[in-house]
Parts: sequence; C-alpha cells; structure tokens
Amino acid sequence: MFQINAAEIGNVKVNTSQNGGFSSDQIADMATDKIVYVADNAPPAIQEQARLFADRVRNLLRGYVDLAKKEERATIIQVIEQTGNKELANIIRRL
Amino acid sequence: MAITQAMCTSFKQELMLGTHNFATNGNAFKLALYAEGGGGKSSTTATLGAATTAYTTTGEVANSGSYTAGGGALTKVAPTTSGTTALTDFSDISFTTATITAMGALIYNDTNSDKAVAVLDFTSNKTSTSGTFTVTFPTADASNAIIRIA
Repeated sequence: MFQINAAEIGNVKVNTSQNGGFSSDQIADMATDKIVYVADNAPPAIQEQARLFADRVRNLLRGYVDLAKKEERATIIQVIEQTGNKELANIIRRL
Repeated sequence: MAITQAMCTSFKQELMLGTHNFATNGNAFKLALYAEGGGGKSSTTATLGAATTAYTTTGEVANSGSYTAGGGALTKVAPTTSGTTALTDFSDISFTTATITAMGALIYNDTNSDKAVAVLDFTSNKTSTSGTFTVTFPTADASNAIIRIA
C-alpha cells in the first residue's frame, strides 16, 4: 500500500499599490524575497547572515529599479518630444 | 470564514484521473479574486474551501483595470521534484490600474471545465486603489511551493 503523506498548498503574498504603480522600494522588496529566502528553522547565525545579505541585495536592486524607471522615462520623453508634444513630455519629466 | 485556504478535494481526485496537466504546454490555469462580506459583484459573498469544485462568479471581485471576470491567466513553471516531494509553481500575477479589494483567490483549470485546484486565503482584505494588485507565489521548494505532494 502506498500513501501520500501530504498534498499541500503554499502561502501567497499580496502586494498592492494606491494611485499608481509600485514604488522602487516595493519592487526591490518583492525581488529580494524571490532571491533570498531565510528559513525560520535555520540556525540564528545563518539567519542573521542571510538577512544582512538580503539587505545588500535590496539596496542594490532599489538603485537599479530607480535607474530603469528613469531610463524608461527618458526614452518615452524623447519619443513624445519627437511628436512635438512638449507639454506632455514635461509632465512625464516631472514624475 | 467564507474563504478557507485549501487544496480542493475534487482536485485531489482529479489528479488521479489525469484531469490536470501542469506541464508548460499542458492545460491553461487561471486565478480569480474573491471578496468577503458582500464585496463581490452584485454584492455577493464568496464561499470557498476544500469543497469548492469549480470556478464561480459568486463573490468574485468586479471588473477593474486589467482585471476581468474569470481573473488572469497563470504562467506555469514545469513540475519538478525536491527530495521526495513533487511540486509545481506559477509566475507571479498582477492586475494593473485596478481598484480591487479581495480576501482570497481560486486557482482553476481553464482548459478543463474550470475545475478548481486550490483556494487561497489572504487572511485579510487586500486593497489596490487605481493601482497594481500582485499575487506573489511562494518559493518553489519542498517546504513552500504553491502545490506540493510529499
């Protein structure tokens, strides 16, 4: 006789934003959670090290998310300016 | 509780019947969002749990932004094993420019008669206002993956 010990589902996490998309901090947190997982049953010293590593990853990601947003906006502004809509380009520039 | 996290009992049976195929070129799966306390379409309340057998519109959140009835298509990650555990995973899913308040979700098989897979309980109302509503799936390992058979 064979028995399946457990058929289980994991816990999802929900992230939401208000009046716009996610902030760079939120995106960096979400990405860091995917990259670094700290098990609750890991030895305290390992947990501490993993959390420090996660903080470094988060800070690095935040910087690059900011850069990606800025560069994407720069491209959009350029395309809009080429169509002659300087007012709209300025609105996006101020974001 | 009107929404109780569970792997649907019918899904366990249907696994033995070969109803669900999680391969990347297999069946299409979707995730629909649900509200409690009459927050769903037409003031309906969701009742979801292990006994849920298929997608229902009762208690589903209203259309908003990129969210439309039936929810969003999930991108599958091919099933794999870790030790003696088999597991499968999905990519995170987002609904943008949406005003949504949801208490849970249902994963279901869009290819095979909308048959239910699992009910997800967010444990509290999650709200986006003219923003993004993202469901992030857990780490795909033997202890945390969204669907595991040990």
